[in-house]
Amino acid sequence: MFQALMLALISGLAGLDILVVHIHWHRPLVTGLLVGLVLGDVKAGLIAGATLELAWMGLVPLAGAQPPDPIVGGILGTAFAIITKQPPQTAVAFAIPFAIAAQSIKTLLYTAFSYFAHLADKYAEDGNYKMIERINIGALVFHFLLYAIIVFLPIYFGMDVAKNIVSLIPEKLMNGLAIAGGIMPAVGLATLLKIMLKSEFVPFLILGFICSVYLQLPVLAVALIGVAIAIWEFYIDRNRTQNAGVGGGENDEGI
Amino acid sequence: MKESNAMPDKKITRKDLISVFWRCNFLQASFNYERFQNIGWAYTMIPILKKIYTTKESMASALKSYLEFFNTHPVLITPIAGIIAAMEERGEDPESIRGVKVALMGPLGGIGDAIVWLTFLPIFAGIGVSLSMQGNIAGPIIFLILFNIVNFGLKYWGIFFGYNSGLSLLKSLSGSVQSISKAASTIGILVIGSLIPSYVRLSIPYTITAGQAKVNLQTDFLDKIMPGILPLGVTLLILYLMRKKNFNTTTAIIFIIVIGILGSYTGLLG
Repeated sequence: MFQALMLALISGLAGLDILVVHIHWHRPLVTGLLVGLVLGDVKAGLIAGATLELAWMGLVPLAGAQPPDPIVGGILGTAFAIITKQPPQTAVAFAIPFAIAAQSIKTLLYTAFSYFAHLADKYAEDGNYKMIERINIGALVFHFLLYAIIVFLPIYFGMDVAKNIVSLIPEKLMNGLAIAGGIMPAVGLATLLKIMLKSEFVPFLILGFICSVYLQLPVLAVALIGVAIAIWEFYIDRNRTQNAGVGGGENDEGI
Repeated sequence: MKESNAMPDKKITRKDLISVFWRCNFLQASFNYERFQNIGWAYTMIPILKKIYTTKESMASALKSYLEFFNTHPVLITPIAGIIAAMEERGEDPESIRGVKVALMGPLGGIGDAIVWLTFLPIFAGIGVSLSMQGNIAGPIIFLILFNIVNFGLKYWGIFFGYNSGLSLLKSLSGSVQSISKAASTIGILVIGSLIPSYVRLSIPYTITAGQAKVNLQTDFLDKIMPGILPLGVTLLILYLMRKKNFNTTTAIIFIIVIGILGSYTGLLG
């Protein structure tokens, strides 16, 4: 029980590090050592953590897309390796279902967190920045609990029981909410467009889209194209105002 | 900028910028799929906003625009924060500020991914792994030290770099408020256009079987004519609903959840 609680605490706190501060002690390389300390086998923990680190290397959050969870994978994988005395490569196979479950629950959590954005809007109406600060920090509690629980269950109840608990969640509904979570950024982007997209800017929206899907350009390249267009526009505008300002007389000199 | 603003009051102090540096660590605390890091971005910039917007009304309208969609790299956030702080101090209009914010968030996100996640992280982790494999406790420790020199070093450097270069850039552009706003919106819209297909995830992995022929709607059909058409289409649909049908963000979200659940049960969407 004590060990399960300790591992849950480590997982919960590591769950915060993946979102905020980013010291990166949530990587399997480091959590392996911590799990080893809790379970009384530092060397096995180090080696298992290092093996799992290699497995998760490169699986990093890019552009908002979420890879299988390295925290749950790292902590459970190392714990199983030490408890069952299996090689870490085998142990990670046990951890993977939980790492995936953690990932899909996180998708739901981030979808549900849209509520906080609306709550913050409400306080913004009154200029109440103190509440916005509280909302931002308060949301971390849910993240902590998610990570603590998903590691506690399999360690305390055993893997089979925990797997049954995870499978109780209706898959189609979860999947549906995950699809909705995938579409959700369209709301935020549409809101920005509602404010920014005047009809004269529509060509740039199309151009940016083409650069991305057909030309597969990275966003930095797209922004540089934007810089080029902006400079070009700047000189065109300046020449136009200069010509208008100077008046007709000088324009006629060539004739 | 007119003459009166040629020497703007120094409203923002070094202390404010350092406060932004500490707060930027909590950029993703309330990460959400509707507007990504929006609350964390407002949270990060509050020390600046407090200095600039002293009335309740002005603070309210500033907070609202800081709560719009925002997403960038959590380590390379500070150059953006610094530039925006410089713009706020010089009293630039909200439209230019929004444009610059949107124009910068995508590229810095991409640069941050490449530098921090795909270069420093694997290199330092690799060093740590090779030590750990021999059972050496220095593995995780050396990894943490090396990574955090980069992590906190970049964040701290970025806030001053952003603020100072923002100020000097704005000074050299002074007298052309109109052009700043227009240039920022041009780049911003271009960046949004390129981000839509990577941020919005929607596909129709449905397979039509006609005799021997199997056609997967997504990979065999949509991806061949226009990849990313669904993310673009759904974004424009929501924009249309918001502009013409008076949808607010809450109704839009309910609409999306219904679509998601229907799509899942029918097997049409993925």
